[in-house]
Order: sequence, then C-alpha cells, then structure tokens
Amino acid sequence: MALLERNEWYDIARNTNWTPTHVTEAELFPDVMTGAKGVPVEKWEVYDEPYKTSYPEYVRIQREKDAGAYSVKAALERSRMFEDADPGWVSILKAHYGAIALGEYAAMSAEARMARFGRAPGMRNMATFGMLDENRHAQLQLYFPHEHCSKDRQFDWAHKAYHSNEWGAIAARHTFDDLFMARSATDIAVMLTFAFETGFTNMQFLGLAADAAEAGDFTFASLISSIQTDESRHAQIGGPALQVMIANGRKEEAQKLVDVGIARAWRLFSLLTGTSMDYATPLEHRKQSFKEFMLEWIVGQFERTLIDLGLDLPWYWNQMIAEFDYQHHAYQMGIWFWRPTLWWNPAAGMTPDCRDWLEEKYPGWNDSFGKVWDVIIDNLLAGRHELTLPETLPMICNMSQLPICAVPGNGWNVKDYPLDYQGRTYHFNSEIDRWVFQQDPARYRDHMSLVDRFLAGQIQPPNLMGALQYMNLAPGEIGDDAHKYAWAEAYRNNPYQKKAA
Amino acid sequence: MAAFPMISNFQYDFLLQLVAVDTENTMDEVAAAAAYHSVGRRVAPQPGKVVRVRRQGDTEFFPRHAKLGETGIKPMETVEFIFTEA
Ligand SMILES: [Fe+2]
Ligand SMILES: [Fe+2]
Repeated sequence: MALLERNEWYDIARNTNWTPTHVTEAELFPDVMTGAKGVPVEKWEVYDEPYKTSYPEYVRIQREKDAGAYSVKAALERSRMFEDADPGWVSILKAHYGAIALGEYAAMSAEARMARFGRAPGMRNMATFGMLDENRHAQLQLYFPHEHCSKDRQFDWAHKAYHSNEWGAIAARHTFDDLFMARSATDIAVMLTFAFETGFTNMQFLGLAADAAEAGDFTFASLISSIQTDESRHAQIGGPALQVMIANGRKEEAQKLVDVGIARAWRLFSLLTGTSMDYATPLEHRKQSFKEFMLEWIVGQFERTLIDLGLDLPWYWNQMIAEFDYQHHAYQMGIWFWRPTLWWNPAAGMTPDCRDWLEEKYPGWNDSFGKVWDVIIDNLLAGRHELTLPETLPMICNMSQLPICAVPGNGWNVKDYPLDYQGRTYHFNSEIDRWVFQQDPARYRDHMSLVDRFLAGQIQPPNLMGALQYMNLAPGEIGDDAHKYAWAEAYRNNPYQKKAA
Repeated sequence: MAAFPMISNFQYDFLLQLVAVDTENTMDEVAAAAAYHSVGRRVAPQPGKVVRVRRQGDTEFFPRHAKLGETGIKPMETVEFIFTEA
C-alpha cells in the first residue's frame, strides 16, 4: 500500500480541535490553564509550527540519537576522563548536572501542560514531542553522572540537588517554578521555550559542547549535542504563539512575559555559565569570554529575533548589557568564598595568567575584583585559611535567590534595592529584580529566602554548621577549592603585577 | 538589650551580608561587627582610618558613640560602612 507524504496528511491529522458537547469549551480549556488571554480558539488555529514531524519519524530519529548517546556512555566506563581531566572541568560537570538534570523533569511537566492545554493544535502536537524530549534529557543527565558516583559522591547531587535546600537549588527551583511550573500553556510557550530555551539554553548547550570538546571530554560533548538537537526543535514552540498574541492585540502581555522570562534566565545563566566560562574552564581551553559570548548570541542574535517578531527590547536591555561586565565576576567570588555551601568544588581561576586574561577581556578587573582576590591570596599564603571562609550569610535577593552583589574595590557600586510591600521589606539585587516582583507581587510575596528562613529560626543551630545541615550537605559533599589552593603558590614572594597595557 | 540583625554594605566589598548586633551597641561597635566579616577577608585593612556608619543613600554619618537603639535604624535595614579620616 502506498503511503502518503507527510505534508499531504499532516495538517488535517494534527487538527485535533473539536466542539465539545458533554462539557463547555471553558471547562475543557480553562483560561487559567491555557493562558489564551481572551484570544478566541479560531484565532489560535492559525498557529503554524515551523518544525513538523510525525510520531514514527520522531521515534526513529530519537532511537538513533539514544543509540549514539548510550554507546558513548559505554566508552565512558572505560575512559580515564574523570582521572585525567582538569578539576575545574569536573566541577563544571557537577554544577551542570545538579542544576539541570531534574530541571529537565520539571520542563517535561511544562511541556505536558502545553500538550494538554495549548490552545493551538500545532502547539499541542509539538509539545507532545517536547515532553518526550525532556524526559530523555533528565534520564540521560542522571545516567551519565551516575557512572562517577562511586568515585566521588558530589556527583550524587545530579539527583539530590533539587531535593535539597542548598541555596543554588533554591534559586533554580524558584526560577523554574516561576518560568514554567506555575504558568499556563501560553505563558510556558513564551517563557520556557522562547525566552529561556531560544535565548539561553541554546547557548548554554552549544557553548558547553564546544568547551567539552576543547577539554577532551567527548562523552559530555556528544551528550550535550544530542540533547541540543531536541532543544532546537521544541524551542520553536514559542515563536508562533507570540505571533498569534501580537496579531490579536496582546503585544503588551506578550512583552511582559518575555521581559520577565529573560530577566530571570539571565541571573541563573550568569551564575552557571558565566562562572564556568571565565573561571572554571582552564585558560588554554577558553575561546571567548562570557561577555563576548553574550554580546554575540544575546545582543547579536536574540535581539534580532525579538525585533523580527515585532517585540521591543526589554526596558532594562542596556542595564543587562552593563551587567555582562561584572555580575558573573561577583557570583564567582560568592561561590568561591562560600564554597562549603556548594555540591561541587569551585575552581578559583586565579593564576597570574588568568588575571592577565581577565584584565584583557574586562579592563579594570584587577582594580575592582582583583583587589578582593589580593586579600584572599595574602591570607592563603600566610596560612590564615580561616579568613578565606565566611562566618555569616550573604544577603539574598528576594527574586533571584542569589547573593546581592556587584563591583568591589575601585568602582565599588554594591547596593540594596529594597521594596516595602504589605508590611514586609524585600531586598533585591537590581532594579530589574525589583521590577519583576512588582509585576505580580501576589505571586512572589510569600516566598522566604534562605536569609528570611534563618531569621525565622528555621536553621538550627544558627551557624555555618546548621546552615550546611539545612542545605543537606553531608561531609564528603561540601565544596572546597578545586585545585586544593595550588594556584596561590604562584604568588609566593611574587605579588601580582598588572601587565603593562 | 535586644539582638538586632542588620544588612552590612561594607565599602569596597562585593556583596551585602547579614550582621548580628545589639540595640545597645555604639556605631563604632556596630562598625567593628560589620568589619569582622569584610576587613581582612576581602577588604584590605586601612590603618589609621575610621569606619563610619550611615544609611544607604545618605551622605551624613551617625555620631560614633550613638547607640543603635537611638538612631532609628530598623532591623534588616541596609547600612553603609565607609572608611574615613580619623
Ligand atoms: Fe531539555
Ligand atoms: Fe527543552
């Protein structure tokens, strides 16, 4: 029997809208779940997904991808990657798996919501495959690190992180709950697939795959590339949804979702990818600075995508670009100084050559962030290890759930952005974080940051040990310097001299 | 006597920190409590200088011997700690 070509049957087969008779349309597709914003269903039916596939095609291709990924995994069991790789690279892997693996399961739930409540049949169809994709991503990124658990229990955090109260895990949960767990189908299409995936995860995965290949970790490179091929397909769910909203007079609502989505993604991204690229990646493997990368992908490419869709740049665009110069440097200092509170061992990335590189990429770095590292290096060399560790909590932003931090040294610009709301004072890292809160205070007001919990007496005993217990960090898991401070020896009797420009 | 949490924004440091003080503390004592978590850890000491205390955004410092309870500073307010000539 001759089979029809896909394009001869696709449109009619995936048009699964019908007229319900046992329940009302509003009961079948409640606004709170669809997020249709009052745009009637027939307007949504013009939604045209740019990437079309059928279930048999999907299964055949995914089967091949999985066969490839699992054969690489078999090679991993025999490789000495774990023993031979730079500890900074191993730290990137641990941070990545803990922060991402279970987030993929969360993304699966979000795709499922679009598959059920998407107002456009095309969206529901794409999201069904997206749901299967995200399940695959979670399982792959749990299975690969599992190989290393017997050698290093920090790898166990690939699964454990999201079940803990570790601060980075709280930040990731808060962000992902906001962007896609506690959102309607339409909002998920915009915030998860458009803002987060098109804007940021594309780059996180492309950048990481390139870095992994550079570092000689072909297992991780092929795992990440395999995942990325799924992402680049289902990330296209959001674009046509934005087109429908804009064509039907809902640009303002669409713009707000995009602006909140990018603001939140940017914070998490600068913490994870910013510190990985500019500090944890061994110097000889760095191709671009994080800032160069952001300027190329976010300013060069994503900006074009926004304009082409008929959206405006977010109001805070210039402020965000200004942050490319400092925010991730501040987060790096935070994760290194509060290293016992991590599930990975942060690399300082602080050899004299690293500092020359930072100065070249970020002129003025040595006079600002470098001043702080000078004090830390002096303490390490003088054996005052206790002064390189914290004895209190950083103030945490009530939006990002990350430390409120900025530029130290010359150029000191650290500031609180407080907001009084219904008798409680909230503290934010920037105008941008405070603005996000103000868009929907009822959504955010009841959340307690780690510091709020500490002050409410939930962390006992109220000291670093109590905090580590609260964060579920067991001995053998808590972070320490990735290179066991060996890098500091380069400065013994040889203080850092800034290279002449 | 009452335990008093405040937010320290210490000049030249890179972040805000939680600092525990007491309503009976003078501004010099509050400054010392904040310095404990910044100076010598991430901020180089400045011998001969005095660390003065002011509200975020203010230019005027509180008198060095003023007691915290008398200043009107609220719990969990962000306070700036600035190096000045003695
Ligand atoms: Fe994914
Ligand atoms: Fe995805």
